[in-house]
Amino acid sequence: MRVLVRILAPLLGLALAAIGVLGVVEVVTAWIQPDRGGDGLLVPWRAWQRALDTQLWATTPVKITGIVVAVVGLLLLIAAFAARRHDVPLRPPAPHVTVTTSPQALARMVGRRVRASDAVTGASVTASRRAVSVRAEGWDGSPGSQDPPGDSVEPVDTPRLADSVRADVESLLDDLPLATRPRVAVSVRALGGPR
Amino acid sequence: MSTPADVVPTELVPTAADPRAGRRSRRAVARSAGRERRVVGVIGALALLAGTGTALLAFGVFGSGRAQRPLLDPMIVDALRNQALVSRIVALVVGVVLVVAGLVWAVRALAPERRPDLSLDAGADTSVVVTSSAVAEAVAGQARTLPGISRARARMVGDEREPALRLTVWLAEDADVAEVCRRIPEEVLAAATDAFGGRVLPVAVRIETDSADGPRVR
Repeated sequence: MRVLVRILAPLLGLALAAIGVLGVVEVVTAWIQPDRGGDGLLVPWRAWQRALDTQLWATTPVKITGIVVAVVGLLLLIAAFAARRHDVPLRPPAPHVTVTTSPQALARMVGRRVRASDAVTGASVTASRRAVSVRAEGWDGSPGSQDPPGDSVEPVDTPRLADSVRADVESLLDDLPLATRPRVAVSVRALGGPR
Repeated sequence: MSTPADVVPTELVPTAADPRAGRRSRRAVARSAGRERRVVGVIGALALLAGTGTALLAFGVFGSGRAQRPLLDPMIVDALRNQALVSRIVALVVGVVLVVAGLVWAVRALAPERRPDLSLDAGADTSVVVTSSAVAEAVAGQARTLPGISRARARMVGDEREPALRLTVWLAEDADVAEVCRRIPEEVLAAATDAFGGRVLPVAVRIETDSADGPRVR
């Protein structure tokens, strides 16, 4: 969106300037050459006037034009609003220093930490200043390893995988000097069969 | 009587205690798109209002009599003809304003971001100017020596009166982010401050990670 706004701003500026030049040229022409019969230098005002004189407000082309202009305006407003920065601020180490990182970099750091675990085969991470969400895919806990007694009827390994992923993410967030700690959401998909 | 504040090097005090330094360093994080966003937003809002008004009028919300009149209303044309001089002057002024505003917006949006040189206070009749590329090279080179940083790039931003530094570092895979954050001001920026005669620049540090595994550029 930022790129779009950066491209749109000079184009809109040039378009406005062009409209202004046209207006000035036409007014000056009409002033110094009043015998042109109402036609401008560049704009065929006569033909425009005839078309606009016969067109009523309550006709379909006018309605469509109004709606199209309104929709384009709404899209421009949305683009302008969405073009803000999405930096993730870190705690400043000194008053004259500001440290930021990008959501992509934060997501990559989280992804590296999560994938480093043996039980995780793949993970995708999205991150922002406020929330980190991890979708991980991995093996169930190793059979019979640290299963507490009385817990063997239902497979409770998937929640345990989610817990270990969450612990990895939380420990990384402990290490990172983030200005605000993002919420962590973890969803896991357990793989069946032998590892 | 010695308080901790007394041992702070004197040249650090003016900027470190200056609340504007923090603001200037935040402003150095990235090139501002604020003006462009305002231009696009204002034009979008005007288009939304005009389009909505036209559609409402056309659908007869303001009365069916109004909607049944021609687009170029003879009533309005007559009013303009009766005040021909005023209409022309207003049209001229609006045209000139559009030309100036449009060109200023376009030029400002297309102008590259400035890289101010750093002038150092070297005495009454001496002036020392460090070029922006020299500052950038020195700081980036210093940053590359830190463990955990695979690449570093620096540039001056702002203007001559209020220069600031933007430093982008790419972390190696095994980097300790907290340690990098701690060592950049302690080692990189402190060395730069020493080199530039004790002048403390506002600094924006951007931390990135390489998308490919391992550094692509050495």
